[in-house]
Amino acid sequence: MERLGLFLCTGCEIGKAVDTGGFEKLAKKAGATVYAAHPCLCSPEGLATIEKAIADGTVDRFLIAACSPNAKPLEFRYHPTKVAVERASLREQVAWTHKHGDEDTQLLAEDLLRMGLARVSKLHLSKPPSEAIDRTVLVVGGGAAGLNAAKAAADMGHPVVLVEAGERLGGHLATVKTVTPECPPYETPHANRIADLIGSVERNPRIRVLKQAMTKAIDGQPGQFSVTVAGAAGEETFKAGAIVQATGAKPYEAAKLAHLGYGVSPDVVTSGELEVMLSERKVLCPRTKATPRRIVFVQCAGSRDKDHLPYCSADCCATTLRQLAAIHELHPDSECVVVYRDMRTPGQLEHFYKGVQERTGSLFTRGVVKQVQVDGRLEVRVTESLLGDDLTLEADLVVLGVGMVPHSADGEKIRQHLDAKVRSEKGDSEVQRKQAAQLAEELKGYEGTEILHLGYRQGPDLPVLSNGYPDSHYICFPYETRRTGIYAAGCLRAPMDAAQAVEDGWGAALKAVQCIAALTRGEAVHPRAGDVSIADFFMQRCTQCKRCTEECPFGTLNEDEKGTPQYNPLRCRRCGICLGSCPERIISFPEYSVDAVASMVKVIEVPEEDEEKPRMLAFLCENDALPALDELASRRVEWNPWIRIIPVRCLGAVNIVWIADSLSRGIDGVLLLGCKRGDDYQCHYMRGSELANTRMTNVKETLDRLKLESDRVRIVELGRDEFGRIPEIFQEFAGTIERVGPNPYKGL
Amino acid sequence: MATDTNIAPSREFRDEVMRRGGADVARCYQCATCSSVCELATEANPFPRRQVLAAQWGLEERLAKDASVWLCHQCNDCTARCPRDAKPGDVIQAIRGIAIEKLAFPSFMGTLVARADRTWPLLLGVPLLFWVVLLGASGSLTTASLVYHNFVPHKFIYMVFFPVTGFATVAILIGAWRFWNLLGKGAARSGSFLAHLVPVLADIVTHRRFASCGQTVSRRWAHFILVAGFVLAAIASGLIIPAMYVFHVELPIAFWNPMKLLGNLAAACLAVGTVWLIMNRMDHTGRTGKATGYDWFFLVVIAVVVATGALVEVERLAASPRAGCLLYILHLASVTCLFGTFPYSKFAHMVYRTLAMVHERMAAPAGSSNQSVL
Repeated sequence: MERLGLFLCTGCEIGKAVDTGGFEKLAKKAGATVYAAHPCLCSPEGLATIEKAIADGTVDRFLIAACSPNAKPLEFRYHPTKVAVERASLREQVAWTHKHGDEDTQLLAEDLLRMGLARVSKLHLSKPPSEAIDRTVLVVGGGAAGLNAAKAAADMGHPVVLVEAGERLGGHLATVKTVTPECPPYETPHANRIADLIGSVERNPRIRVLKQAMTKAIDGQPGQFSVTVAGAAGEETFKAGAIVQATGAKPYEAAKLAHLGYGVSPDVVTSGELEVMLSERKVLCPRTKATPRRIVFVQCAGSRDKDHLPYCSADCCATTLRQLAAIHELHPDSECVVVYRDMRTPGQLEHFYKGVQERTGSLFTRGVVKQVQVDGRLEVRVTESLLGDDLTLEADLVVLGVGMVPHSADGEKIRQHLDAKVRSEKGDSEVQRKQAAQLAEELKGYEGTEILHLGYRQGPDLPVLSNGYPDSHYICFPYETRRTGIYAAGCLRAPMDAAQAVEDGWGAALKAVQCIAALTRGEAVHPRAGDVSIADFFMQRCTQCKRCTEECPFGTLNEDEKGTPQYNPLRCRRCGICLGSCPERIISFPEYSVDAVASMVKVIEVPEEDEEKPRMLAFLCENDALPALDELASRRVEWNPWIRIIPVRCLGAVNIVWIADSLSRGIDGVLLLGCKRGDDYQCHYMRGSELANTRMTNVKETLDRLKLESDRVRIVELGRDEFGRIPEIFQEFAGTIERVGPNPYKGL
Repeated sequence: MATDTNIAPSREFRDEVMRRGGADVARCYQCATCSSVCELATEANPFPRRQVLAAQWGLEERLAKDASVWLCHQCNDCTARCPRDAKPGDVIQAIRGIAIEKLAFPSFMGTLVARADRTWPLLLGVPLLFWVVLLGASGSLTTASLVYHNFVPHKFIYMVFFPVTGFATVAILIGAWRFWNLLGKGAARSGSFLAHLVPVLADIVTHRRFASCGQTVSRRWAHFILVAGFVLAAIASGLIIPAMYVFHVELPIAFWNPMKLLGNLAAACLAVGTVWLIMNRMDHTGRTGKATGYDWFFLVVIAVVVATGALVEVERLAASPRAGCLLYILHLASVTCLFGTFPYSKFAHMVYRTLAMVHERMAAPAGSSNQSVL
């Protein structure tokens, strides 16, 4: 039995802005049995009113009509397993931002109340997943980042299994003698202390190190991963709660740099090859075995170059400085020249740059190396040099500072290849089989590149984002990947130096431990941390269209042979993108469902055409757009009063039926305000705003069917900091709607 | 520029720059803060950034024919703002010092004066010894008299100073010729030398270029007064010859004689200018840059000339023959040193900078402003 309540706050100017006299009647009409107004609802007395109603059992669901859900989260905190609560922003969306006592303001407030009450009456109580969670952290890769991740997780009390493919730990760092300085005065290279870290990991009783071992299968979901590792001592299977992938990077393939003389002359070497010479304490020209008189370092060799690696590898400049110091020590008479695009020595490494310049007397110039001519002695051709000319530098040895490429596997491409192979054999038609065979041939390079071997329908490895890096690539979500409970660390995540990689190990381990803790409490991880609801699939109506399996950014859904989705609640981030994707509308969350939002659309009062008061609806992403709106409200900036706002979990969690419903009810326009998409996306679920944009083509079809103008629906991208744009966006949209004219479905 | 230059860095030249005051040249990382604050920097010639890089790389040839090194009045605005503390002002100063040495004729003199931090006893001692021996041999030393022209007969003065100034003139002319040819290799010139010399001299007389010096703008007047002192002294000395031989003015010249007054005014200017410049250089805020022994040598010699000259005159009034004669010998020796080292000490900048300024005007494309713009 639903026992619906409305708790109204009249403080913070709400009481002055609108006439609350009719609200009780409105609540009763919407089915509320309890109504209480308080001049300061967040005060102890106000909160006590609500507590008493809950305790008395007079309400099991209620609307708090006060401030934004982003305000006073501690005061208005109710457990979703006990009561269903909704908030209506009468303060931010009415009192602070619209004319007090105005008719439009009154209508806006009443709509907000009706919408909130409609929504809350459709909510269900959450039933959190209660499953056994394993506390083990699996670390894949025993380089600097992996070692420190293992150590950090173990220090936080978690059992750790560290899987390393090679014979020894330490990764790339174990091959170098010195590292860039890590403490003041940051002027000279420091001794490499990776051996200490290796020792502390190997001696740690909580860490089990498996060398010459590879993951063979990782099935299940976070908290319960079933990991099979094949190693020197055979295969073994164990449980793990979370995974840190720290498989590092490999140097860019220098063979592709023939224009810089690599492969043409043996005297052109990579910085990695020079490192080997330095570790043997002898730098000689490979061809003549003589000590080089002049060594030219070519920085950004194949980096920041659209034909090779488009990005900066972050460590090459510091590596060159370190090598200059080492060469100066071994062969003080060898003259070293560095041709750089920009010396990038962030933070304290600036002192290192200065120190090496002063101590070694090496020569530096900015310039672009177009070619290394191999004709007896090497000739380095430099253009755009700071010396003001195009230069030719003779050299006995040329060192190419090559960048790094992440040691990742493209899970989605591997899966595409496998699917194409299957289709090429079992395809429906000859044409389809042929096309599939062609695709399989194109993607052949991905065969056998698996690293993690995940049992995920979307592919056996982390989906990669730009340039093969699997990280979310956004400053707000470091270490996150598109697989819940699997975190990227070190050079796999982004190009970085040794010190950063060690620090990265800490970061990823913290995320892994945090994930295990959240799952143990039955809660979702970032960004809906604390959410205990899980999705419900009404399977009887499923048509196996696979949209949910395909579109989930986190690979939550697997499928059986028939293509029926299989939900893994512990992989789920509760973004609702599956809900947005489902054409049958069978997916819902206790607190977020197609029905709940659709019922909000239904109760918006749409004025008749002759009243000349258009109605517009804006779906606002709760992650950035809604806080931005609140920020705007706190500055008391007014916006168009004819717009009604519905917060959504993500633009990807907007089911297009809501748009169709709105338009068929006579609402004149629908605006979707969410995070940025594209390479520099800010979507908290990576793909949400992108998917919303793709789905707009379907929306256009709906509009065509309804014979409506496509201008009536618009997506606008908004950054969290761009709140100042909101009034303008609203006004411009209102202008468009005015131009297009009233929705012909009004009053039908 | 599209020239393909085969670059040959020289460690020796860089070491020389470092030894001669540009000790921190290796620190420069080419941010061009110096050029953005320098009056002389142009789009095509980001002075002093590119010159500091050339000094780092030891590209001596390139710097030798670069007039901008000489157009710099060492205001040290660059040094004050350098984020790496590479002291571009000191580097350019060192490059000028090396240039003077390399242009010197005969070259051993250049080397000798270039190392004035160590050779100064020799540079001052030899003239002193010479005068002592000359006067000793002529018996003057034993007949110490406050009538200085009795003590040191005028023929001695002529015997010494005509050859010394003549030598210095020839030497500086050879240096100037070499320098002018080098500059010609750096940039093509057009127009007449004299026509361009006139505005340059106007610039020098007004010290207009000093006005844009930020850090050390007070040097404008210190330097002006010093130069004025030299000019007045030259006029007074020039007038004295006809006065003695044509008008037979009695020596010593009376205090109120306009010629004497002019000479004293010159001495006063030289004294004020020297003290002011020394005080400027003693400034410990680091604004003036670090002066090397070579830099100090020139200023100290002027100071000795002025101090001994003034004391000689004071002694004449105080009437202590022995002390007066001793000071007079010191005065003659220091003047000999000043004139003799003219082509090799910092004094030579008088000629080289003037030439560079003329060159700058002659090399400027027609119609362009004669002052470099950023």
